[in-house]
Amino acid sequence: MSDFQYVGKPADNVDGLAKAMGQAKYVGDYQVPGMLYAQVLRSPVPHARLVRLDVAPALRVPGVVAAITSDAFANHGLFGWPIKDAYVLAHEKVRYVGEAIAAVAAESVEAARAGLAAIELELDELPGVFDLTHALDADAPLVPLVSPTGRGNLADTLIVRNGEPGPLLAGCPVQLDESYWLHHQEHAYLETEGALALPQGDGGVTVYINSQSPFITRDNVAAVLGLPAERVRVIQPPVGGSFGGKDDIGYQSGGQVAALALQTGRPVRLTLTREESILASYKREAMQIRIELGAEGDGRLRAARVHMLADSGAYPSMTPLAAWRGTMHAAGPYRYDAVTVDTQVIYTNNGYSGAFRGFGNTEATAAIEQAVDELAVRLGRDPIDLRLQNCVRQGDRVMTGNTLQHAAGLADCLEWVREKSGWEARRAEYARQPAGRERRRGLGVACYFHGSSLGGEGADYATATMKIESDDSVTLTSGLTDYGQGSRTVFTLIAAEGLGVRPGRIRMLRPDTQTSIESGPTVASRSTLMGGNATRVAAQNLDRLLGWAAAQALGCAPAQVMRHGEQYIGPSEEPLSFELVTARARAMGLVLSAHGTWHMPHIDWHFETGTGVPYYAYVFGAQVADVEVDTRTGQTRVVQVWAAHDGGQVIFPQGAVGQMNGGVAQGLGYALLEEMTFQAGYPQSLNYDGYLIPTALDMPPVEGTFIESSFPEGPYGAKNMAEPLLIAAAPAIANAIFQATGRRQRSVPMTLEQVLLGHPLAAGAPREQCRVVTGVGPDAGEVH
Amino acid sequence: MKLDFELNGAPVTVEAPGSLSLLALLRDRLGLTGSKPGCEIGECGACSVLLDGEVVNACLTLAAQVHGRRLVTIEGIHAADGGPNDLQRALVTAGAVQCGYCTPGMVMAGEALLARTLTPSREAIRTAISGNLCRCTGYHQIVAAIEATAAQRAAREAGR
Repeated sequence: MSDFQYVGKPADNVDGLAKAMGQAKYVGDYQVPGMLYAQVLRSPVPHARLVRLDVAPALRVPGVVAAITSDAFANHGLFGWPIKDAYVLAHEKVRYVGEAIAAVAAESVEAARAGLAAIELELDELPGVFDLTHALDADAPLVPLVSPTGRGNLADTLIVRNGEPGPLLAGCPVQLDESYWLHHQEHAYLETEGALALPQGDGGVTVYINSQSPFITRDNVAAVLGLPAERVRVIQPPVGGSFGGKDDIGYQSGGQVAALALQTGRPVRLTLTREESILASYKREAMQIRIELGAEGDGRLRAARVHMLADSGAYPSMTPLAAWRGTMHAAGPYRYDAVTVDTQVIYTNNGYSGAFRGFGNTEATAAIEQAVDELAVRLGRDPIDLRLQNCVRQGDRVMTGNTLQHAAGLADCLEWVREKSGWEARRAEYARQPAGRERRRGLGVACYFHGSSLGGEGADYATATMKIESDDSVTLTSGLTDYGQGSRTVFTLIAAEGLGVRPGRIRMLRPDTQTSIESGPTVASRSTLMGGNATRVAAQNLDRLLGWAAAQALGCAPAQVMRHGEQYIGPSEEPLSFELVTARARAMGLVLSAHGTWHMPHIDWHFETGTGVPYYAYVFGAQVADVEVDTRTGQTRVVQVWAAHDGGQVIFPQGAVGQMNGGVAQGLGYALLEEMTFQAGYPQSLNYDGYLIPTALDMPPVEGTFIESSFPEGPYGAKNMAEPLLIAAAPAIANAIFQATGRRQRSVPMTLEQVLLGHPLAAGAPREQCRVVTGVGPDAGEVH
Repeated sequence: MKLDFELNGAPVTVEAPGSLSLLALLRDRLGLTGSKPGCEIGECGACSVLLDGEVVNACLTLAAQVHGRRLVTIEGIHAADGGPNDLQRALVTAGAVQCGYCTPGMVMAGEALLARTLTPSREAIRTAISGNLCRCTGYHQIVAAIEATAAQRAAREAGR
């Protein structure tokens, strides 16, 4: 289907062999002479005023070299975006169990832990806010120091205003009004958070850190240290998974180790234990979503009204932006005459929440796709038929009122999963199961749309650089990074395609704020589209230089030069090697380096009016899940999944398949296994023994495909993968469980207890376990 | 205590507290950082090593337990020329490596299985790596790589 040389062809991950041989060095693998080990004192309670904090006793513990509090930072280490109210180390209050209070650097981890235990900490415990639905009550305790909205625990409000759904809903013969609960999810990346800071002679600091976005990490670390940005250099080693999870937490840990390194003049490394990671890091926000839908008797959707509550926890982090994305997708990928969405982002003392793969659309889709399924039942319609009747196609207006400008493969995705899953036959077979059968099968579907890149969140651009070295290898940089998703391979393939050289000639440099060019955050599945286009432009710019040199060497016009593999061929058909052309280019005095920048076409979303264009383009997909529910235990086994995704041209096929399988796995975990619950602010699981993620035995076969709708503005026609592959699994499984059991879940995760009893089992609060992890000594922490 | 054991084919002697975990011994004392800490409670398998051919979690194994035994870590898995072996190549070809943090442990679990059988069923492969968590890949490409390696090694043995 394409005449590309490298794009869309099987390729090896450029970092794969080093990783498979155990040679890739992650931040925790670095050992530097003279290195100190950092440990962090964390809050043992969900909400308290800091009455007294004295780190001087820690300095008397043998081996301890430095101990710091928020006083070590400019403006007490205040940071955060879009709401700036977080601290590198707690200031005035602690607001969640695990919040960092003080940091110690010592000759060994053991000495640092002893140092933590010696810190004198006095906390005046405050009443907490744990119930999202009562956080805005007049008598609710205030979680932030100052309310950013002036309305108590309300952190932010987000809206969509597309017509007036009220009268339409009232007039619809078929209506639905249901609420859905989506609980927290932990990223559970295999590598925990870590950072290593090396003081530099000039008063600056170099930080190796497994954060997603090195430039944003640099800017935050520089700001909290009160240093100019150029004095802080951030280098990203290989990152052991992130899924949205290694942003803000890295600004904190990066700031902590950088301050300790500057104070001691020695390298300082911090790596979190799994328990600390789960206690301290942010989660996928919990949401409660109420959906009202109205349809005509023939199935035509008329109107939707959605209310969302998002639990940001103690700090907003990215929750306002994730909630915005959720808001922009809350009524699903359907045509409506009118839609409104009202979303409130709310502070509680339930840990804190932020970015996680799908970024609000995971929750929004989990809700709306169950609701549409419920509506299909009320209409007496097949769930896929109803979706196909209403789903958006090119030229349609989506729920936010903007017109879908580009080819949209949503209907194709639905058709594909219907055919491959044998939908009609299976649905009919499962509908005939005898009432008394205990192991019951069900088939469910869900589909999605997902706005590409940042959209209305902010400026959307990326830059790549390429340089031909003296040995004729090509070095490539990008301001966007790879924490496992494969973008370094994607960029390498695009660079190879654009320059017409073997991928093996290209070496992608590690992300480094001193050598690559700032490109915004590595989020929103924007790497292939934004970074890929920047790389394509850089490669074409470099190719133009070589084209001039080849033309001169071949004695023809640049337009007459043809390429065959790496060779340059003139009108008389004599081939020149890449090396001869670069030699000629150097002789001509050309500088064999180029950069490429790409900006997303401009769009405008008006946050105040809830109108405009939230995204320039969208990707689409659909999944069908076949499940077996044991009605005696409530256990659900996913038997098979069929998945179709339209992300435009696939660049790196094995990587795309990995995104699909991995997305289904995380979606399956979200749907069935992963209980990140808080009891009175205390997380109930702190390691993989309690927080269960899918194993190889939990994974069903996945039959998948990529519908590659045309997107001419993308790099070789590509849009994106990554996040959206996760989001259909949970609602597809929920809808399958409904067919199997006849009971709607309306709550994620659908654990054994949830499926069997209709509610989760209340667990005991492991306060003591949390307390041990926080580093507070048995006698030291005084909590009133 | 003094520990004598075979490490990746060569005899070694190290002085270490017997209560030290094998993972700490490898990473902090011997500089072998291919075995990864992921949970340190034996749940994730990122620190898998082969002790007398059996997969064990280095985080749950005491350094003292390796005395007199044969230990193979990811650093001991490679082709004769020191480059990647067939399983390591197959993992990359299959697209089974994303963030890569679980990959060394997956290699160890795969090698342990392939030492027992070159005709494992898909189910047997899934069971063999069920103690190794991966958050990126959804496992299928890892299973496919082990399966492909088994078939290649079986064909090579049959050809001898």
